[in-house]
Amino acid sequence: MYKLLLCLRYLRTRYLAFVCIVSVMLGVATLIVVNSVMSGFSNKLKDRLHGVLADVLIETERSDGFAELPDEIVARIQDSPAGQYVEAVSPTVETFALLQFHVLDRNRQRQPITKHVRLVGIDPVRHAAVGRFSEYLKRQKDSPAPTFDLTEEAQRWLAKSQFYDSLDPPLATPARAGGDPNPGKFLETPSVIGQGLPGILPPPVLAPVPAPRFPGMVLGHSMCHYRRDGQEYALLAEGDEVSLMTLSAQAVKPVSGVFAVADFFKSEMSEYDNSFVYVPLADLQRMRGMGERVNAFQLRLKPGLDDAFVKATVVPALQDLFDPTTARVSSWQQKQGPILDAIAIERGILNVLLFLIVGVAGFSVLAIFTMIVSEKYRDIGVLKALGASDRGVLTIFVGYGLMLGLVGCILGSVAGLLITDRLNEIEVLLTRLTGQQVFDRTIYYFDRIPTNVEPLTVLLVNLGAVTVAVGSSVLPALKAARLQPVRALRFE
Amino acid sequence: MLEARDLSKSYRRHAETVPVLSGLSLTVGDGEFLSVVGSSGSGKSTLLHLLGTLDSADGGTISLDGRRIDHLRGRERDILRNKTFGFIFQFYHLLPELSALDNVLMPAYVGSSVLGWWGQRRAKRREAMGLLDRVGLGHRVKHKPRELSGGEMQRAAVARALLCRPRVLLADEPTGNLDPETGADIVKLLRDLNTDDGVTVVMVTHNLELAAKTDRIVRMARGRVTDDSFRPDGELALT
Repeated sequence: MYKLLLCLRYLRTRYLAFVCIVSVMLGVATLIVVNSVMSGFSNKLKDRLHGVLADVLIETERSDGFAELPDEIVARIQDSPAGQYVEAVSPTVETFALLQFHVLDRNRQRQPITKHVRLVGIDPVRHAAVGRFSEYLKRQKDSPAPTFDLTEEAQRWLAKSQFYDSLDPPLATPARAGGDPNPGKFLETPSVIGQGLPGILPPPVLAPVPAPRFPGMVLGHSMCHYRRDGQEYALLAEGDEVSLMTLSAQAVKPVSGVFAVADFFKSEMSEYDNSFVYVPLADLQRMRGMGERVNAFQLRLKPGLDDAFVKATVVPALQDLFDPTTARVSSWQQKQGPILDAIAIERGILNVLLFLIVGVAGFSVLAIFTMIVSEKYRDIGVLKALGASDRGVLTIFVGYGLMLGLVGCILGSVAGLLITDRLNEIEVLLTRLTGQQVFDRTIYYFDRIPTNVEPLTVLLVNLGAVTVAVGSSVLPALKAARLQPVRALRFE
Repeated sequence: MLEARDLSKSYRRHAETVPVLSGLSLTVGDGEFLSVVGSSGSGKSTLLHLLGTLDSADGGTISLDGRRIDHLRGRERDILRNKTFGFIFQFYHLLPELSALDNVLMPAYVGSSVLGWWGQRRAKRREAMGLLDRVGLGHRVKHKPRELSGGEMQRAAVARALLCRPRVLLADEPTGNLDPETGADIVKLLRDLNTDDGVTVVMVTHNLELAAKTDRIVRMARGRVTDDSFRPDGELALT
């Protein structure tokens, strides 16, 4: 009984103990906040990685694609042991390409912009069925049957651009009537629509609009947008022409084609938004001279299959269908293994480093307990004279450490969870106070700092902190337990 | 009842061994009020600590009712300290975080588990309040030691020593830090306990005047009992 009484009494009366409590509290709160943010980022990242990639990918390294036609391969997949797990298949052609479009510089001169991109030929409806392709489209967001068709306005814009391009010398297309919700490519150009360019040209004739000559394309959002002073500017708009150059499927020979922007793709993953270009599968096959062949399949699996099962059962069963020297089958996690591993390693390292805060708390417990044991030297002697056992005295101090750890953990958990819950408000406040943007939304395109509180992590952090607090109290407690009462009582 | 035979004890001070007790033998009768006198360094306090099992002797034996207690270890020794012996120290040694009542209750806390305490808490509290009343501190039960005078603290320490109804009260210079009048009150209190409750009292003191009020005075010098029925007869100074 005396152990509990003294633990509680020391907890209430020893103000030094609050240093230990605050140390543990800070460590626990920091670990909870950091883990929640890391987990939030990680989940969001995984979500987006998975959103762009289907559950399973089958790719061939042959430049002319799989030898069989897509429907034959799909039938083979459906008939295989893995077929029962497959819900949808999207045949695609994936290749690297150079993309070029023109913008006006400050001096109103047309300048070519060239980028290397990942060019993907898809059937948009089938592709939307295997992943979250349509969720990331800007205009056709969440459409169950997205297309590469241009809107009427985009078609008109394309026709107008073609008219101005056909002039000799070519002239910059004026700003779009009605205005783009985003300040556009020609934002800095004075609006001359309906007026022509004073002294140069008569007003252009806008009707009738001829049918567009080019197939549509979906362009990664970041490839043709930039930010300045918190505003987003577009370099391309729907209906703009874009040239693509890639290699022929048959030989190392460049092939090219011109497409018109039909929509934008914004997955909020800068790597994808800055590199993916989708074009109609048939057009890319034609451009590359592949006939009806494809070089990749994206598969959506039936819901409820866990990652380990997919990796252990579905992927090997699919791999058996293809020649391993030229074709690879991988789940989306295997495909994104390095980045997912990097996140896990980063989180682990951060945890180790941040746990040092709890380690420091442990040292403060050790130092303060050593002081308290020295200070309580005589009281320990008295307790032993009254019949307290060595183990009893040990229990007082270890129990005291446990209580400090528990109180610190409870306060730290509450603080950590509150901070996590209000993290975005705190970020806004800090940004306002310091004038420096703490969380730059342009880097990840997240509107808010993503957080995810994992109960198991909170539990492990608390267990770790309590263990450190208790562990740090053992040494001073042993010193107290081994004290000979007569040594404490002999002299005043 | 309590018998020390041929006790020896020495301490090491740096490289030097300092003998404190050398072949000391002493018998304390049941219900006796015994005082131990002697000059500083004669080994009085060491004798008291050995009798109360707070320290272990280098040689010799200590028996209680014929049973050796000098070699007890662990739980047996702790129970003996808790139930059989009551200790009173010169500097009171009350626990500063606790009230006078909780200090008095401490031996009961030490001797009980949480559940055990729950069952007897009311009875023990009543008993402790009664003891505080008896030593004249009934109005100070909630006061912390720092709020009590030296005499009050020593009376609280006496009450603490009595809570578990010990058979032997070992008092190490209980009046050494008190004024003569308060010291006399404490000795009177010990005498009353001895007479009324039959508690055996062994009191170490420098004060021959107070020692004279006990049943028997044992005189020590250089770690031995030089006179186990010393009568001062007007000689109040110790040499």
